[in-house]
Amino acid sequence: MIEATGLTKVYGDKTAVDGVSFTVQAGRVTGFLGPNGAGKSTTMRMIMGLDRPTSGSVTVNGVPFAQHAAPLREVGSLLDAKAVHTGRTAYNHLLAMAATHSIPRKRVQEVIEMTGLGEVAKKKVKGFSLGMGQRLGIAAALLGDPQTIILDEPVNGLDPEGVVWVRNLVKYLASEGRTVFLSSHLMSEMAMTADHLIVIGRGRIIADAPIGEIITGKGQSRARVRTDQPEQLMRLLADDGVSVEVQDHELLEVTGLPARDIARTALDNRIMVYELTPLQASLEEAYMELTKDEVEYHSLITTGAAAPTQTGGQQ
Amino acid sequence: MSTAALQSSRPQGTAGPGPSFLRVLNSEFIKFRTLLSTLILVGSTVLVMVGFAALNAWGIGQFSEASQNDPQAAAAFAAQGADLTAGIPTSGIAFAQLIIGSLAVLLMSSEFTTGMARSTFSAVPKRTPAFIAKLLVVTACAFVVTVASSLLAYVAATPILDNYGFDIDLGSDHSRRLLLVSGVYVAAVAAIGMSLGTLLRNSAGGIMSLVGLFFVVPIAFQLIPGEFFEEARKYLPDSLFERIVTAAPAEDALEVWQAWTWLGVWVVVPVAAAMIILKKRDV
Repeated sequence: MIEATGLTKVYGDKTAVDGVSFTVQAGRVTGFLGPNGAGKSTTMRMIMGLDRPTSGSVTVNGVPFAQHAAPLREVGSLLDAKAVHTGRTAYNHLLAMAATHSIPRKRVQEVIEMTGLGEVAKKKVKGFSLGMGQRLGIAAALLGDPQTIILDEPVNGLDPEGVVWVRNLVKYLASEGRTVFLSSHLMSEMAMTADHLIVIGRGRIIADAPIGEIITGKGQSRARVRTDQPEQLMRLLADDGVSVEVQDHELLEVTGLPARDIARTALDNRIMVYELTPLQASLEEAYMELTKDEVEYHSLITTGAAAPTQTGGQQ
Repeated sequence: MSTAALQSSRPQGTAGPGPSFLRVLNSEFIKFRTLLSTLILVGSTVLVMVGFAALNAWGIGQFSEASQNDPQAAAAFAAQGADLTAGIPTSGIAFAQLIIGSLAVLLMSSEFTTGMARSTFSAVPKRTPAFIAKLLVVTACAFVVTVASSLLAYVAATPILDNYGFDIDLGSDHSRRLLLVSGVYVAAVAAIGMSLGTLLRNSAGGIMSLVGLFFVVPIAFQLIPGEFFEEARKYLPDSLFERIVTAAPAEDALEVWQAWTWLGVWVVVPVAAAMIILKKRDV
């Protein structure tokens, strides 16, 4: 279990992580989701004791990481695929890390096989692709057979087969009762992998909930309605908490009212409806909705309605 | 493995051995010997030491032959002959110190430039044991490489000197002193280099600082007129080394124990600073 309390990291005049508190439970995959620069990596480095928090604290199984008697056996981490001297072979890198905890060569060989590095283990890391680098980082994380696993953007650079492998691996590790905390800026990936989501934007926690709850959001249902009497239907549907948007000549998007109620209203008023499609919010949309004010670097090219009302905080 | 089996096999707190100092030392030694750059730099040191010794032996031989016709010069030469040849095995040390010193800088700065530091300090989050272990590996390597390459240089120089009727008495006090002090001195340079690598976290910056300290500053102090620079020059590491090994010190020279003390200061201050900063700074 990872517990962060009021964790804050300030670099100069920029607050990278702003008083975040959260708990990562054992036995499930917890996703750490946020746009680039939201503070995911900084938070993970603070968990690993590499960065000192400006204020607040974070513990792993009740103890700050650095105070564990056998840190590698307690927490395995992939913080950066490039946390390796590229002049060394993958095998020697793992061997040197294993030596600090008297982890036997057999285990080194095991994690090499597990991560599919067998063929390149005796080659210098310099020539590795991003995907192989990720596999090596994951091998290093698993070396101590740790109870807690922290992976920062583990699927970055992996081929589709690798992505599926990581997905199954983290689910398996969580099913063994381990604490798995993995970050990503890809919501689609999280939807496939995580059981629980912590969403961070501009250093603050925006949401901390089971993934299903985040997708359904605030319980707002949406539906697309096509009718030849849009004005009339709009007037009838207008109510507190209901918003109707005219999308096209005869096309409305109704938010805040279940499809069934829309159909009932139309029927009662003899308005013909020729399409009524309930819209399921994807995690992607839920995420965009959650983070729209928190994204640090907006694209300059945005499409009409979705254009951000504010520009990022960077000068 | 079932969930239950795994959990019961992993009760908290008895996960297995952690990073004891000996294990960290072993890890640092593995890291040291598995880099090609280490082998290249150690190899270059041996080459430089042997090469300079051979050149020096040849030069001394040529000079002695040239002075045969001048009885005065020949007598003077004969008088200090033993001292001259004693210095041959370690004659490449000015360059060896820079190569080994650069190696020491690189071994630490590359941890930061490659990101390896994140792996290293995740495994040893207290950081100081990893630093001390690396320092031990680096200084021991510096000592061994210096002494071993001096011995090789002796082997290479002996047949050359033999041609001119000279030899090196390795068993003499002066020779033994030169050998050991050279080893200790290069180890000290390595400690300074590793500290620079830790403080600057940058390979080029660390190596340039080292070259500055051991090459540029001594020459600059010699060139700048004034009593202050003349006096200050005595306290630079390379002058301290010269003072310790010289058989005939100048009148206003430091005592040997003073030279040792100052050399100690040159090592302890950067090492302590590096250890404090390493512990405090984010990786």
